[in-house]
Amino acid sequence: MLGFSVALQPGVLWYAVLGCVVGTLVGVLPGIGPLAGISILLPVTYGLDATKAIVMLAGIYYGSQYGGSTTSILMRIPGEASSVMTCIDGYAMAQKGRAGAALCIAAVGSFIAGTFGVIMLTLVAPPLANFALRFGPPEYTALLVLGLIFLAYMSSTSLVRTLLMASVGLLLGTIGIDVMTGHFRYSFDIKELGDGIGIVPVAVGLFGLGEILSRASKDATGQVIRPKLRELLPSREEWRQSRMPIARGTVLGFLIGIVPGSAHIISSFLSYAIEKRISKHPEEFGKGAVAGVAGPESANNSASTGAFVPMLALGIPTGPVTAVLIAALMLHGIPAGPTLVNDHPQVFWGFVASMYVGNLVLLALNLPLVGMFVNLLRIRYYYLYPLIIMFCIIGVYEVNNSIIDVWIMLIMGVAGYLLRKFDFDPAPLVLGLVITPTFELSLRQSLVMSSGDWFIFFQRPISATLFACSAILLLLAAYSMISRRDWRAKLAEVDAADKG
Amino acid sequence: MILRRDHIAGAAFVAAGIVVLAVSQDLPIGRLASPGAGMLPVLITSLMILLGLVVMLQAGSSPPLAEVSWHDLPHAAKLTAVAAVTASLYNTLGFVISMALMLFVLVYIVERRNLFAALAFSIPIPLATYAAFEYLLKTPLERGLLWF
Amino acid sequence: MDRRHFVIGSTATAATLAAGPSFGQAAYPSQPVMLINPFPPGGAADVVGRPFAAAIEPLLKQSVKIETKAGAAGAVGAQFAATAKPDGYTLLLHIVSISGFAEADRINGRQPKFTLDDFIPIARFTSGPVALYTNDQSPYKSLKELVEDCKKNPDKLIFSSSGIYGALHLPAQLFLQAAGIKMKHLPTNGGGPALTALLGNNSQILASSVAAASGQAKAGKVRALAYYGNKRLASMPDVPTMKELGYDIEFYLWVGLFAPKGTPAEVVNKLREESRKAVASDPFKQSIANIGDEVAYLDQADFAKFLEADAKRVEGAVRQIGKLQS
Repeated sequence: MLGFSVALQPGVLWYAVLGCVVGTLVGVLPGIGPLAGISILLPVTYGLDATKAIVMLAGIYYGSQYGGSTTSILMRIPGEASSVMTCIDGYAMAQKGRAGAALCIAAVGSFIAGTFGVIMLTLVAPPLANFALRFGPPEYTALLVLGLIFLAYMSSTSLVRTLLMASVGLLLGTIGIDVMTGHFRYSFDIKELGDGIGIVPVAVGLFGLGEILSRASKDATGQVIRPKLRELLPSREEWRQSRMPIARGTVLGFLIGIVPGSAHIISSFLSYAIEKRISKHPEEFGKGAVAGVAGPESANNSASTGAFVPMLALGIPTGPVTAVLIAALMLHGIPAGPTLVNDHPQVFWGFVASMYVGNLVLLALNLPLVGMFVNLLRIRYYYLYPLIIMFCIIGVYEVNNSIIDVWIMLIMGVAGYLLRKFDFDPAPLVLGLVITPTFELSLRQSLVMSSGDWFIFFQRPISATLFACSAILLLLAAYSMISRRDWRAKLAEVDAADKG
Repeated sequence: MILRRDHIAGAAFVAAGIVVLAVSQDLPIGRLASPGAGMLPVLITSLMILLGLVVMLQAGSSPPLAEVSWHDLPHAAKLTAVAAVTASLYNTLGFVISMALMLFVLVYIVERRNLFAALAFSIPIPLATYAAFEYLLKTPLERGLLWF
Repeated sequence: MDRRHFVIGSTATAATLAAGPSFGQAAYPSQPVMLINPFPPGGAADVVGRPFAAAIEPLLKQSVKIETKAGAAGAVGAQFAATAKPDGYTLLLHIVSISGFAEADRINGRQPKFTLDDFIPIARFTSGPVALYTNDQSPYKSLKELVEDCKKNPDKLIFSSSGIYGALHLPAQLFLQAAGIKMKHLPTNGGGPALTALLGNNSQILASSVAAASGQAKAGKVRALAYYGNKRLASMPDVPTMKELGYDIEFYLWVGLFAPKGTPAEVVNKLREESRKAVASDPFKQSIANIGDEVAYLDQADFAKFLEADAKRVEGAVRQIGKLQS
């Protein structure tokens, strides 16, 4: 209760709201991700006390996760890697005139996921954090292998095409300096490539620009969708369809989020794969399935809350954003570590309580904005698409202030156009790109730890369990291939039997 | 035999894979117990070539190449060219000028809207965006030739 | 910002270009100054650079902005600054590892893209203490126990680092070399992940900045075995220095300010002067104290002298690490 008495002080409350507003802005505007947003505002907090500072900065972080879905749904520009999946069905919904519904469901899903994340944070932070710490390189490797196998499952259409796209992504992911040995790979003396190809330029190019290139303006001018105001809210049917995906995405995202490292990006991909796999209408995915928005959006929000668990309970960063938050605490003279909750309870509980408040604020902020954002679609396409190109360029450039990234985006835009012509789905490419660095690093770190003994993956309980899950999935796949019967069909039958 | 869409698509990946293998020559492969910098790229590339071949083999079920519609190609090429010119001028001209030019060219020349509308569209928007980034977000966009 | 300004602005710029460099010499600084931070936000250069930017802004009467150009353990940002126009509007914040890049390139048969000679040192701000840590699951209470065990069982223990040739790899390597012992190296992609590996017992040894490990040390999760300074640190009086233990090693995670070579002398002098005032200001000192560091200011002459000695140490460590294994 100390938390709420801190969080509801007018001063703290004001900074929580301010953080959420800035976060929404940061999320909606392409170009500044949460990391840049927080670093920019860090100096502003020097004059504040530590509680206000951290409450505001954290607000920017989780606020940006809410806002990130907006450009994905309206313009098919993924603000960051975690919104790539939202682009697919979110944009398809917008094309059908259901942009309002998609935005609403994304906001509500985010709210539920965020709130669930905070509740879990309040209740079980310390034991969970200790569990998360047991994720060393072998466990990472196992988790990512499981992710890859899920990815193969995503392909209810063509396994070969999905794997081909994933392998292109994996290959792109190996560009840059090899962390283990320091070798430069495929960087052709371009120093910006030393750190690898960014996810944002690739995702924005493939999805945002690729979409524009494959839509000649004369095709589109006639059929601008003018959403009617009364159709802004999701229908009852849409709510029903998103209930379970939100729940599943929330739990999944939280579990992945607490693992230190950058693996939380895969939460939205995994959620999408699961929803598509267990859906009774997998053919609707890609054409505007509500579940394809609800699941991934919830997953990415609860992952961002989950990321606070190791940070608050143990003082270890789960990614670049939490690293900046820890630095911010240190700048205010508060060392982040396991003793934070005892030494500075007002900071710890104030922070946690402010997240309850923050999630409410974000919901209240985002729902009315839906109406405003949807109006963007009223702009005639021949004015809208030049704007989208402009935002793609700023968005990509501002991440690293690098014009090379803009070129990468342009190349990827052309690639996206061609892939579309030849009927390839670019999403697995992005996933491959996201996981390669972590996958390769953790695989090789594991082998360093075990002096080259591959059994390390089966000796450690968590990694052994994850590998066992992968094996079961593979067996299931093999079984359904042999018996020529999709287990999904069976699941549907069982489901039907349950209901009947 | 009819040349089908997936023949081309598969062949493109196979060709790309061979190029990648060729430029990976200098990367150490290492051993299975301690993979070198080159191992993963080589494995992935091999997989890519293999999958490319499978796509070619299964091409029978894909539509013939001639049926793929390219009607949007001229438009796409124009946009790509405009964006590429913008990207190459971005650092010199700065955000406001290069974006204003790009929006103007796209609306006036590519889309053939009237001059006044194009001007009214392409000048205020980059200025407003610039101001928003400069003052609200405190991340100045590239200034280039502008002097304020 | 209306159109009139826009037009005037453009013509003014054109005039400047035509008039040549005379404008730049008017009165430095006449436009915002950009500090390149070559590490990810929250890294060592960032937490020192931001308070510094805030402190020097009112002195220069111009805005001072931090621009992050992270990548390749700080090489990308350094290279960017090395090739920037030497007009005093692009400056570089960098840390100890700046001295190692050229050497690492040389021993791997690559042409160094920049060397220390491409920069003019302006000031050193801090000199962050570094210590050798182990975690609470390892039995070692002293450096002696550690060395003895490693001599008996080479390659049993694992040390984590912030990346190959990185700022945390160098001090660990110096120690291993001096003690004549061997450990396996677990490179990660930053100071944070390296510390996480230590906490999760995926590595047992880490040379870390005292500031980054202080929270964990307080909770007893990690234990300092030896300190890399030349005398004991006030905040941890029980930890002996490497020198006391018989290893002639010193290592500091210093943060300093550089200008590209060719920057006019009067600009450099202006920066030196204002940096000195900024570093002496109370808000800056307070911010640095908060991150568990203390201001260890050196002016250009002393910094250059220090840098020369430090570069020798760093290059030595890089050579000891040797060529990249293949």
